[in-house]
Amino acid sequence: MSRKLVRRLLQRTLPRHCLITDPVALKPYETDGLTAIRQPPWLVALPETESQVAAVLRICREHAVPVVPRGAGTGLSGGARPVEGGVVVGLSRLNKILEVDLDNCVACLQPGVRNLAISEAVAEHGLYYAPDPSSQIACSIGGNVAENSGGVHCLKYGLTVHNVVGLKVLMMTGEVLHLGGRGQELDGYDLLALMCGSEGMLGVVTEVWVKLLPVPPVKKVLLAAFAQVSAAAAAVSEIITAGLIPAGLEMMDRLAIQAAEAYVHAGYPLDAQAILLCELDGVAQEVEADAALVERLLRDLGAIDVQIADDPQAQARLWLGRKAAFPAVGRLAPDYYCMDGTIPRYRLAEVLQQIESLSVEYKLRVANVFHAGDGNLHPLILYDADIPGELEKAEAMGGRILELCVAAGGTITGEHGVGVEKLDQMCVQFNSDELEQFERLKAAFDPAGIANPGKAIPTLTRCAEIGGMHVHNGKLPFRNLERF
Amino acid sequence: MADRDISDELQESIAQARDAGVSVAIAGSGSKEFLVHSDTETTQSRLLSVAEHTGVVAYRPAELVITARAGTPLRELAALLARANQMLPFEPPLFRGMGTLGGAIASGLAGSGRPWRGSVRDAVLGVVMINGLGQKLTFGGQVMKNVAGYDVSRLQVGAFGTLGVLLEISIRVIPKPASEMTLKLELDCLESLSKMREWARKPLPITASCYHDNMLYVRLSGAETAVLAGASETGGEIAGDLNWWDKLNDHDLPFFKEPGSLLRQMSPPAQELVNDACVLEWSGAKRWFYGDESEYHGTGTKLFGAGFAQVAVSSPAADPVRGDVQRRIKQAFDPDNVLNPELLRANEAA
Amino acid sequence: MQTKLPEAIVATTKGRRAEQILRSCVHCGFCNATCPTYELLGDELDGPRGRIYLIKEMLEAQKVESVTVTHLDRCLTCRACETTCPSGVEYSQLLEIARDYVSSNYRRDLLDRLKRLWLIRTVPYKRRFRRWAQLGRAMRWFLPKRLREMLPVASTVEALQATPPVSPSVAASSVLLLNGCVQQVTTPQVNAALRELLAARGIAVVELAEEGCCGALELHLGKEPGALATMRNLLDTLAPRLDEVDAVISTASGCGITLKDYPRLLKDDATHGKLARRLGDKLLDVGEYLLSLDLSWRKQDEVLAVALHQPCTLQHGQKLGDEARQLLQNAGYDLVAVRDEHSCCGSAGTYSLLQAKLSSQLRDRKISCLESGQPDVIATSNVGCHTHLAVAASVPVVHWIELLR
Repeated sequence: MSRKLVRRLLQRTLPRHCLITDPVALKPYETDGLTAIRQPPWLVALPETESQVAAVLRICREHAVPVVPRGAGTGLSGGARPVEGGVVVGLSRLNKILEVDLDNCVACLQPGVRNLAISEAVAEHGLYYAPDPSSQIACSIGGNVAENSGGVHCLKYGLTVHNVVGLKVLMMTGEVLHLGGRGQELDGYDLLALMCGSEGMLGVVTEVWVKLLPVPPVKKVLLAAFAQVSAAAAAVSEIITAGLIPAGLEMMDRLAIQAAEAYVHAGYPLDAQAILLCELDGVAQEVEADAALVERLLRDLGAIDVQIADDPQAQARLWLGRKAAFPAVGRLAPDYYCMDGTIPRYRLAEVLQQIESLSVEYKLRVANVFHAGDGNLHPLILYDADIPGELEKAEAMGGRILELCVAAGGTITGEHGVGVEKLDQMCVQFNSDELEQFERLKAAFDPAGIANPGKAIPTLTRCAEIGGMHVHNGKLPFRNLERF
Repeated sequence: MADRDISDELQESIAQARDAGVSVAIAGSGSKEFLVHSDTETTQSRLLSVAEHTGVVAYRPAELVITARAGTPLRELAALLARANQMLPFEPPLFRGMGTLGGAIASGLAGSGRPWRGSVRDAVLGVVMINGLGQKLTFGGQVMKNVAGYDVSRLQVGAFGTLGVLLEISIRVIPKPASEMTLKLELDCLESLSKMREWARKPLPITASCYHDNMLYVRLSGAETAVLAGASETGGEIAGDLNWWDKLNDHDLPFFKEPGSLLRQMSPPAQELVNDACVLEWSGAKRWFYGDESEYHGTGTKLFGAGFAQVAVSSPAADPVRGDVQRRIKQAFDPDNVLNPELLRANEAA
Repeated sequence: MQTKLPEAIVATTKGRRAEQILRSCVHCGFCNATCPTYELLGDELDGPRGRIYLIKEMLEAQKVESVTVTHLDRCLTCRACETTCPSGVEYSQLLEIARDYVSSNYRRDLLDRLKRLWLIRTVPYKRRFRRWAQLGRAMRWFLPKRLREMLPVASTVEALQATPPVSPSVAASSVLLLNGCVQQVTTPQVNAALRELLAARGIAVVELAEEGCCGALELHLGKEPGALATMRNLLDTLAPRLDEVDAVISTASGCGITLKDYPRLLKDDATHGKLARRLGDKLLDVGEYLLSLDLSWRKQDEVLAVALHQPCTLQHGQKLGDEARQLLQNAGYDLVAVRDEHSCCGSAGTYSLLQAKLSSQLRDRKISCLESGQPDVIATSNVGCHTHLAVAASVPVVHWIELLR
């Protein structure tokens, strides 16, 4: 491949302001939301039209240049980190809402449309787009598809895969894949589901059709404090066993509560070992009935304090501490390291106990923030990078926590994706037959292996190198990141 | 219910078939056989029955997840879930009371609650399967949120076994609603469609709607007060038959027993009707009527009878790109074309 | 975010401060979502996160590259990013340090230098600025359209005469009103209206005979030493009158934000630090001040629907804006809904002259947001936004003060 030739071809294809070649200007593109892992790209293309995207992909294909698609660059696992000698294709300029079809309650978007912008655009019609990852103000729908993003409300409303009804994908082979659209059902293999969460390794999405839902008219938030973590965990089970699916169900442990309270004064009870936040939404009568039931359950299970917020201000206050939990915990120590494992809920008390033991073993404090409704755990390991050896301890402990999650029947990543961050842990979760199946599946879309190479699926060699397909000292050298 | 794990035997059968250069036809209870073959057709493949591979592997109601073997009859599964006041969200058709979990997943057919409670694949969290190489593989898991690796589990839904033999499936389940009410409104087909679309934009506790025989049926679910409030907004009188929706899903209503070719159209829900002597479901997105399939070319209309499965897997052949991609995916999972090749042969011909 | 600033940088107060701010950024990218230039250009380099990265690289390499200057120059300093940031990154302070660094370590091209020099030597001086404005008006048909659009309208230029202060016989309270340099030339009617309002309610308005610039202009152009001198000068003029008034107010939020920043900017100033803090204690935005008076105001008869434009210096800089909303609503106006309220109009001080193309694109966007609710007027609270929007708006643009009776 002649690099000069490829560069010239790209320069001829794209307007001047759509290609970045200056090394100084390329630097800010060397990383996404995970700054610990960096790699300057060879070039950055910022196409303004779909045909420009196709042209860039064609040139890269013909000259076997790796392509890294990038949306808003908010990912937390390094999925948009450039690869050496590769071209970053930034899709931020494809940010138009192409169509809002009110009759069919769907919208067609370019990949660079921000998640929150969708709901804002249809709010006047009483509709919204349900998945709401914490980065929803900035993250774009194309990235949401690539990561299969969740959010605080996914227990009730599902992940991106449940809310996307159509895609247009430019494949690395030059083919254009049209999947779904206005209608709800697809024939043939469910390639739409396959594209969701494929981390940009199967193609570049240039159009996304999403489902729009009516805005729930009423919302209520309950906060319950518990003297034992196990009681809070039991309450989560009881609420669900009672037949309720709350819109959001979040848990925080003592250290997280104290940090949040000291930071934003949300009115959380400081004597609690755990608090639960439960949001209910829907039609007024439903919410009334459910809130009464939840309150009774919480009290019966020994909640030492229950607060109910009906109006938006009071609700915002109760959520405040949860939303500020990460920056707040960040104030307890110079650095923290956040994990993203998921476990079956019934193992919660047990896993928290094991994390506590690890905390004693490694002499590092851990604050726990937990999407209790869907089992997604975010332990924050506190450490000080200035103390020699402490970072390595935190990393080792993080690896142990992810192993705990897998052993408990869960997974290494609930919502942040594998990217380049959790490649080693993939070797724990999947065996070589499964990893090879993933590779063959990728080859069906991208035989040359130029779409976001080196992400999400580890090579067998890598797994072998880290020791018998098993990680003992998980290497995850990234800390101090805001990960909700 | 019977608790029997024959996954080793199944794996062995596939390996043998592959070595012998023959293919297998995967079967469960046979409830959906009418969607594959007509009565007189026979298959060239060895029969691979999963019907004996039964039993619930894990079920904790508070987790909202059930993991069961593919041969587990849906009816038994439903009964077990009902004891914990839960249900499968996608209300699969049982067709003559039969039907297994594996068949429901492989066919991807969902019942009347689909636009509100999600499709079959929406509920799938993980699978254990055997690919065409005879390898036993696990994808996904038992938790709601899992973004590790490609979503191979959901890819199995609607693939009619062409990518793998399903062994175990983990499904997200939902609580049964505290109360439920079915109302009927006397409306014609067009009026029903526009009413359905009007409701779709409102926050109502609707979980199913269907136009049938000059009557619009609507099901409301949730807290009793919410159902009553919803009923006052939708209007209509209470429909007496408590099993009406099951009959609809299982094609037990007289409409589905008429002679002729039953056609199923999948359409954008608000799109104009191509035939108004129809049954409308899914808020207008799924439509049933009788006629000659060839007259409805390009409208998403398919014969719901012999050959449906072949067409369902292969209909993207109309789009050459998807046809090619599907063949390459098939190749990735089953390079020697061991699993249900007849569905793919139709694919190649189409 | 990890930084590796060289010893030479960290040894300075500003370098340490820069390091502190850089480290508080976790690179989450939320800021890009509300950045007007990112929205327009869709390039990481034209959003706050990319600019922070460029600044980090610049300080680490101790070398100013022209591409860095290009992207830093495109920042409006609207500070919408600070409102959005969950980690409390003080971006504008980092940018201030970076601009100062650029200013002393980078040679701009001649035309750019001339433009900047002209701005610093003219705009803050009301007589010079007025003469230029009059000259421009006389020559208007020979000017390029962009410049022509920026000229103050005739009436205001001609009307610029020191309005005789109306002093009530017995003052209930007194307030020092700062007139600002540009505002005195382009929209003197605003403070005239305020004087009338206050006089009618028995409040004495004190004004300075020779009021200098607040220093905002030089500060934004990265000329910090000059800016600080200008600030000291204004403080000296103010000092004798400070004790006799209850509050010091400005009707231009662009001046207000800089004035409110005096205590920080002059923190270590031996001669003026204390005075800066004294001013800080009395300084209020006109909205805060009027609301604190607890008086009632009436509306104008012919206007009903108002689109309120919140200047960035007010909503992001001073974290204010509700005051004007309340005052207008209490007076009986209907405030129409405004889409993308957080977004800058593109005026941003000298930005409209130095980045004319981006500025006018942002202005057109803003106007379509403001006018979508079909208001009778657009009301704002900063002179820059006021004149900038007036050029292209199809309804009159006023300071909201002008709407009160």
